[in-house]
Amino acid sequence: MPGSKVEVEKLTRALDGKVVLRDVSFLIEPGELVALTGPSGSGKTTLLQLLGGLDRPTSGRIMVDDIAVHALRHPTRYRREVVGFVFQLHHLLPALSAQENVELPMVAAHVPRRERHERARELLDEVGLLSRAASLPSSLSGGERQRIAIARALAGQPRLILADEPTGSLDALATERIWELLASVRQRHGSTILIASHDRGLLQHVERNLAIREGVVFEQGLDANQSDPDAETPPPSGGDPHDHAPANA
Amino acid sequence: MTTLLQTLEALERRPMRTFLTALGTALGIATIVALLAVSGGAQASASKFLNLGSSDLGLFQRDAADPTTSVLPLALVGELRHTRGIQAATPLVLLVGAVHRAPGAIAFGAYPDSFVTDRYVFLAGRMFTGDRQVAVGSGLAAQLHLQVGDTLTIAHHRLSVSGIYHMGVPEQDDGAVIAFGLAQKLAGKVGEATTVAVSLAPTVSRTQGIRTISRRFPGLLILGDGVNAPRTGVSGVLLSRLALVLAVIALVIGGVGVMNTMLMSVLERRTEFALLAAVGWSGPQIAMRVMAEGILTSIIGAGLGLLLGVVGAQLLVGLLGASEYVAPNVTAWDLGQALLVGVLLGVLGGMYPAWRAARLSPAKVLAER
Ligand SMILES: Nc1ncnc2c1ncn2[C@@H]1O[C@H](COP(=O)(O)OP(=O)(O)OP(=O)(O)O)[C@@H](O)[C@H]1O
Ligand SMILES: [Mg+2]
Repeated sequence: MPGSKVEVEKLTRALDGKVVLRDVSFLIEPGELVALTGPSGSGKTTLLQLLGGLDRPTSGRIMVDDIAVHALRHPTRYRREVVGFVFQLHHLLPALSAQENVELPMVAAHVPRRERHERARELLDEVGLLSRAASLPSSLSGGERQRIAIARALAGQPRLILADEPTGSLDALATERIWELLASVRQRHGSTILIASHDRGLLQHVERNLAIREGVVFEQGLDANQSDPDAETPPPSGGDPHDHAPANA
Repeated sequence: MTTLLQTLEALERRPMRTFLTALGTALGIATIVALLAVSGGAQASASKFLNLGSSDLGLFQRDAADPTTSVLPLALVGELRHTRGIQAATPLVLLVGAVHRAPGAIAFGAYPDSFVTDRYVFLAGRMFTGDRQVAVGSGLAAQLHLQVGDTLTIAHHRLSVSGIYHMGVPEQDDGAVIAFGLAQKLAGKVGEATTVAVSLAPTVSRTQGIRTISRRFPGLLILGDGVNAPRTGVSGVLLSRLALVLAVIALVIGGVGVMNTMLMSVLERRTEFALLAAVGWSGPQIAMRVMAEGILTSIIGAGLGLLLGVVGAQLLVGLLGASEYVAPNVTAWDLGQALLVGVLLGVLGGMYPAWRAARLSPAKVLAER
């Protein structure tokens, strides 16, 4: 399944009167693996939720292939068939086993039971946790939970994977394993992947880095030494965010 | 099917919550079942009390607490005999709880040549003669192992068994019949009767007969096979109204209980439902999941409530000391009703929580930490 093309144009999101995303524009080509970096509170989660159809923008356009995501009245099908979301907190259902958690999106899609089991087990195998299929989330480590969450995000065979700080609470080794896993997912499935993270190690696995500062998105180099992506500095072009060209335009 | 299995599993993994919710429903259902059983039993017992032939009617005092405490003046019998359309009228006295070793048995005081006792078929011996003898129904005889010539004590009077009869009416076959005068004395009803049995003339229809009698004797309660006497006597009416009120209260309590617990459970698991929405569950799919939980819990509660109700009905009857007149009976229909009520409670109690769950905004809920 080829990845999606993502086009964002003059996207603005205000929450409780506060502008969280300001006139954001960028383009992601099908199959790209892109990092979204920025300090806490800069708007990463807000942007990913808009892209994933979990929230609606105040103004602006989001086109994922030929789907006008910003205008979706009923985003259920889009969430089910196009996007796979990995959340900042894993959000696995505590009462369900690892395999049942992976099956959840397929239950919504009415995938027949046998096929569902089969596909869930393939995905668990892919994230290296087939042996833990019957375990409850409470008996899994943080890294294992995030890998289950990634398997769940893959269950709908998404063209676009959005991962919101999937390594937030993991140590360096577990974090590295998650990056490798996501890179191999891209290799195998060709999905477009956008990962929000503070972790500088991610930059070694991606081909592009979108940076976000106070709700403004811009292209940043991949040279890890170039600048601290979390630094509280204004965008390079400075001044009015309307001035600088949309990233990758 | 999948929803059902997953719901079952979800419930199984929260046994305490499931049990408590179910218990709320159970108490509601139990109250209903117990009351239905008791009032249904009272109704059934009372209308079978004098189960006479199809052209017969039993007349009782209308404002008596229940048929056994009815008191009618004997003069009424003569008046009835002279009423057009009535072929025969004979007084009866009922003695409840007077038969030694068989507290549930009813002793009838009757004239041995009345049209009521004429129908008895004697399996052994014959009808009583005088105040020293008693004719015993086949059911009571079997219960107490009585044979002709044995002794049966009724209201501290030792009587000799003159015969064993069969009538085909359980209330009469499980009882005994003695001389009318003796029964009057034992019941302290001199010059009075409990009921008057009336046989209509073949030319008169039941409806006509009932109309004639009720017009001439407005103070009478007319009972008979197929006569719609919904509740007999004051206590029957009270019981049925009380049952209705309590049933409604119980239902409201049960329904609110289900709703409250479901709502708590939904609020507590907001992230769960927001997550389902985020991975592509539609609003109706999420609502169905919540409803399924509510309904399943209520059905479990209904089952539990049935058990409690059946046991409770026996206890209630025992406590009221009413086991002679009231045999709690739980029918398949009662069971079906209880299950139906359980489902309804689940649907009603689950509706609002389901709606809430389906409307959660995934962006807001999932961003909370
Ligand atoms: N519901 C809301 N109402 C008001 N303001 C909000 C709401 N949600 C988020 N914000 C604000 O929007 C800004 C961006 O939040 P967002 O969660 O997108 O940041 P983030 O980059 O994901 O941060 P982090 O790295 O800490 O997860 C923050 O200043 C936050 O306070
Ligand atoms: Mg965030």
